[in-house]
Amino acid sequence: MTTAPPADKNGNETGKKARFPSLAPVHSLLAGWAGLALWLLLLLLLALYPYTGVSSLALLVGSQIFVLVTLASNWNLIGGMTGYVDFGHAVFFGVGAYIMAILVTGAPLLISPQWGFWQALPASGAAAALFALLIGLPTLRLKGPYFSIAMLGTLVAMREIVRVSRPITGGGIGLNLPPVLNRIGDYYLMLAIMGLVVSLIWWIQRSEFGQSLIAIREDEVGAEMRGINTTLHKIAAFMIAAFFTGIVGGFWAWQNTFIDPDGVFVETRTVEMVMMSMLGGLGTVWGPPLGAVAIYLLQNLLWSNLFELHLLALGVLLVLIVLFMPEGILGTLGDRSSTSLGRLLARFGRNR
Amino acid sequence: MAIENANGLPPSTPMASDQQPLLEGRTVSKYFGGLAAVNNVDFAVYPGEIVGLIGPNGSGKTTLFDCLSRLQKIDGGKITFKGRDVTRARPYQVARMGLSRTFQSVRVYRKMTVLRNMLISHQWRNTSLLHMLRPSPASTARRAHQLLDFLQIEHLAHEDAGHLSGGQRRLLEIGMALMPDPEILLLDEATSGVNPTLIETIKDRIRTLNQQGKTFLLIEHNINFIADLCSRVYVLNYGEKLAEGTPQEILQNEAVIDAYFGA
Repeated sequence: MTTAPPADKNGNETGKKARFPSLAPVHSLLAGWAGLALWLLLLLLLALYPYTGVSSLALLVGSQIFVLVTLASNWNLIGGMTGYVDFGHAVFFGVGAYIMAILVTGAPLLISPQWGFWQALPASGAAAALFALLIGLPTLRLKGPYFSIAMLGTLVAMREIVRVSRPITGGGIGLNLPPVLNRIGDYYLMLAIMGLVVSLIWWIQRSEFGQSLIAIREDEVGAEMRGINTTLHKIAAFMIAAFFTGIVGGFWAWQNTFIDPDGVFVETRTVEMVMMSMLGGLGTVWGPPLGAVAIYLLQNLLWSNLFELHLLALGVLLVLIVLFMPEGILGTLGDRSSTSLGRLLARFGRNR
Repeated sequence: MAIENANGLPPSTPMASDQQPLLEGRTVSKYFGGLAAVNNVDFAVYPGEIVGLIGPNGSGKTTLFDCLSRLQKIDGGKITFKGRDVTRARPYQVARMGLSRTFQSVRVYRKMTVLRNMLISHQWRNTSLLHMLRPSPASTARRAHQLLDFLQIEHLAHEDAGHLSGGQRRLLEIGMALMPDPEILLLDEATSGVNPTLIETIKDRIRTLNQQGKTFLLIEHNINFIADLCSRVYVLNYGEKLAEGTPQEILQNEAVIDAYFGA
């Protein structure tokens, strides 16, 4: 080693590292087996929760939170890890919901008899994934805001298409699903889907496939030039994210027993997914679940205490989050030097 | 320092007339609107050579690189790599065939660590789906560490690439280009923004790799660098090939002196 890189630069780097010896960079915060073990433990506790004699309302709330966690994690796969900020992701939720409703009600034009829930649920996901393939081939060629807008357009267009396709979708009136009240079943089903999805994201993030997605986010031209078939990888990520979003949509339609275009193809649902992922930490495994729970609790807290102002308060809070910790909770914890709140925390840490 | 090397052949004599070019462009043209960025350029790199590509700013060097590495669609001509027509190939396909390049504005994955940058740049030619669903294997990691060591940035392995200095990023990018064990490396201004000591390191590494059988094509503004390393030099001006020859011939060529050195 005759020619080492400049020594002072080198010294800075190690000095910075030594200041937070216990904190790994954002992309490796509990990314290993320890993180998965904690996650599985949490799932086990959640599985035992109904045995503590809780009300059916608590079970409903539980399954709703699981829905949000699953949606946020799915969005994170394409929006956070691959860096394609999808402002129309709710379209896959809607497609899943409608496929479920159409299949189980045996709506006109379809061959009866009706499908059962268990046959329709995978079909919802498959339909959403197929839709992602068709829509992703053109839209994933677009970069940055162009992709976001194209997907937003897709969402709005699908809402109108569903509204006018009255014979199949019931149009603006919507579709009624057979009411089957099974709170405990819903709870466990959604727990299983959430467990599967988050574990899958954990797995993907460790795999070369996941790393290639991050590479695409960081520099798509570079990734392509180094042998990664970027089109294939993007489409695959998009389809996986769409598949599970479709499943959740199908589940939601079943649990809600009624859907209409304005109820499932809504921009708010996408915004929720984006918010939750951002609050938790874009591109991290555990960030979006954390963000989903945090936003759900926050919404309820604000709703019950500041009813008239709760939307305003939530909006202000989100602006503050974006300003002071754009990398989210996990991002700020992981790399404190990257955000102003992180630097503040770090200063307190040093003074102590 | 030994690098695992698939072909341990000694460097072959350049320009042997019976030899097939490794990378060849025939009448390559690329237009941006009315501007001919690359105009009818004939171009050949033979196995084992170090070829230089020089020219004033805006003469079409990087565009030619982009055409050869398939990032830009060409408007005319034909490109062959290893005897195969790759005119319509996609960048990842030529990359898998054994062509690596670096970029004038360094492209590294900033939020990934240096090591992960290296790991993900492995040879994707025979990567099965099963491989992709697993973390990088130990053999890839071994090769990554070897190369980082070879480029003297091993101590930065766990640093985010975004935290490196410009020169260190250049070295990292060269390392990423070497990961797949390519047959030809296209380096776009590998020495710009790099301090003189590091330039010597890069030069030394290029020589070592060339002795191990790697072919190089270099875009360079640093004439000493070119003169020291290259056996042949192409000069571009206004998108056209102005001259071609050994560094000595080029440095004495009137037209080149006029165009490039602005005499």
